[in-house]
Amino acid sequence: MLKLSGDRVGYILIAPFYLFLAVFIVSPILMNLYLSFTDYDFQQMTFVGWDNYEKLLQDSFFLISLKNTFVYTLFTLIFTMGPGLLFAEILNAKLIGLKGFRASLFIPYVTSMVAVSMVWLWMYEPSHGIFNVLLDSLGLPKIKWLYDTKFALLSIIIMSVWKFIGYNMVIYLAGLQGIPRDLYESASVDGAGVWRKFRHITLPMLKPVTFFLVVTGLINNFNVFEQIQILTNGGPMNATTTIVHQIYNRAFNEFQLGYAASMAIVLLGIIALITVTNFKYGNQTYDN
Amino acid sequence: MKDLFHPGKLGLSAMMSVLSAIMLIPFFMMLLTSFKSMGEILSPQFHFFPDKWLFRNFSDAMSRGNWDLYFFNTLFVTAVTVVVSLIINSIAGYSFARLKFRGRDALFIVSLIGMMIPPQATMVPVFLTLKHIPLAGGNDIFGQGGLGWIDSYMGLIAPYVAGSFGVFLFRQFYLNFPKELDEAAKLDGMGRVRAFLAIYVPLSKPIFATLTVLKATQTWNEYTWPLIITVSDKMKTVQLALTLFRDETQVQWNMLMSATTLITLPLLLLFLLAQRYFVEGILSTGIKG
Repeated sequence: MLKLSGDRVGYILIAPFYLFLAVFIVSPILMNLYLSFTDYDFQQMTFVGWDNYEKLLQDSFFLISLKNTFVYTLFTLIFTMGPGLLFAEILNAKLIGLKGFRASLFIPYVTSMVAVSMVWLWMYEPSHGIFNVLLDSLGLPKIKWLYDTKFALLSIIIMSVWKFIGYNMVIYLAGLQGIPRDLYESASVDGAGVWRKFRHITLPMLKPVTFFLVVTGLINNFNVFEQIQILTNGGPMNATTTIVHQIYNRAFNEFQLGYAASMAIVLLGIIALITVTNFKYGNQTYDN
Repeated sequence: MKDLFHPGKLGLSAMMSVLSAIMLIPFFMMLLTSFKSMGEILSPQFHFFPDKWLFRNFSDAMSRGNWDLYFFNTLFVTAVTVVVSLIINSIAGYSFARLKFRGRDALFIVSLIGMMIPPQATMVPVFLTLKHIPLAGGNDIFGQGGLGWIDSYMGLIAPYVAGSFGVFLFRQFYLNFPKELDEAAKLDGMGRVRAFLAIYVPLSKPIFATLTVLKATQTWNEYTWPLIITVSDKMKTVQLALTLFRDETQVQWNMLMSATTLITLPLLLLFLLAQRYFVEGILSTGIKG
C-alpha cells in the first residue's frame, strides 16, 4: 500500500467534514449575502442593490417581528436562568430523590418542540383546556391565551421557560459541583451567612457558566420559530411573529427569496455581534 | 446519612417533589387525554382521569395517514445522520488532535463557525443549494432543470452531517490521550489510520455514546428542516406528520395526543436509559469553554 505522508493523511481525514461544512454552512452564508442584494423568486434573479434593506426599515411586519423576538428572548432568558440557578442550588444540597427531580425538570428539554407545542396548544385551548378549566373553577374569568393579542406572546414564553429551565438547571448544577467545598467552609468559619456565601463565592465562581448560558441562550432564543409556527403561526394580528418566522414566510410562502435573505443577514449580524462580544469579554472569564 | 434526613432538607425535598409534579403536568395531560373520547373531552365536566380508557385511540390515530412510513422515514434519516456524522466527526477530530499538517489549527478554528451559525439563519441558501445539486432529481450537470435533493432522503440528511460540535468534542477527547500511544503504534508498524481504528476507536466508547444520544435526539426531533425540504406525503417525518391532526376544523385532541405520545415515547425511553450520556453530552457543550 502507498505510504502517505503525514500531511496528506491529515487533510484526507478532515476532507469529508470540510466538504459538508463548505457546502452547507460556509457557502450558504456567502450566498445569503449575495441573495440579499437581489430579487429572486426561483425563476428570475435581478440585482437590486440596497433595495431589500431599505424595504426592511419600512416593513412594519419585520419591525414587529424584531420587537417580538427581543421581548421573547429577554423574558425567556431571565426566567430560565434565574429559577434554573435557584433549583440547581437546591438540588446541590444532595437531597433525597435528586435524580428523580433532575429527570423531571430535564424531560421537557429532551422532548421535541413539536410534541411539546401540541400538548400546550391543548392546555391553552380556550373552552376545554386545563388552564381555563382551572381559572373557571377558581371563579376567575377565562383567558383566550394564544388567541388574545395581549396574552399570545406571554403564553409562548411560559411554555418555552418550562421547556428550557431544566437545561439551565443541569448546566448550573455542574458549575456548582465544580466549586471547591473548602471555600464555603472557610467562609463559614469567618461567620458568613447563606446569602453572603452566595453573593461572594457562588456567583463569582459561576461567572463562566452564567456567561455561557447568556450567550447560547441569546443565540438560541433569537432563532425562535418552531413553537411560533405551530402554536400561533405568528398571529393573532402578528402579535407573535418573529424574525425567523418572517424569513420562513417570505421565502417559502411568498417566494421573495432575496428579501428573506436580507432578513437573514440582519439575524446573522445580531448573532455575530453576540459572538464577538463573547470572544472579547468571555475569554478572560474562561481562564480561571 | 444523618445529613440526608435533616428536617430542612426534607422540607426542600418536599418542595422539589411538588415542583417536579408541576413540571410533569403537561406529560400527564398528554397521556390522559390520549385515552379519552372526544365526547368526554368536550363535556363541560372536567375529569383529570378518563372515565373510560380508550386504548383504540392509538391504533385509530396511527391509521390516519401513513404512519408506518413516517416512522420508517424518521428512523432511517436519524440512523443515517448519526452514523455518517459520527464517522466524519471522529476522523476529523482525530486528525485535528493527533496529526500534524500545515494550517491545522487555522482550519480547526474556521470549522468552529458551524457551531455559531444557527441553521435557521441560512435556510434559504441551503434550500437553493439542495435544489441545484448537479445530476440529482432531474438536474443537469450544472444543477439546473430539476428538483435536486428537494423532497428526498438526501435533502433531509445532508445538511445535518457536518456537525462542527462533534468534531470539537472528538478533538477535545483525543487531545487528552498520552503521546506514548502514538509512539507505541508506530513501533508496531501501524499507520495513522490503522492506529485510529485499532487503538483510538475502542477507547472512545463514552464519547460515541454521548454524541449518538445527542445527534439522534436532535435529528428525531427536527421539525423546521423537514417542513421546508419535504413536499410529498411519502417523505414526511413523524414530527411533521403530527401537524396532520390539526388541519381539521375541529381538532381531534385525543388522536393528536395519542400520536404525540407515540412519537415522544422512543426518546423518553432513550433518555431514561441513557440519562448519564445526555447529561454528560449537555455539559460538554459548554462548561469547558
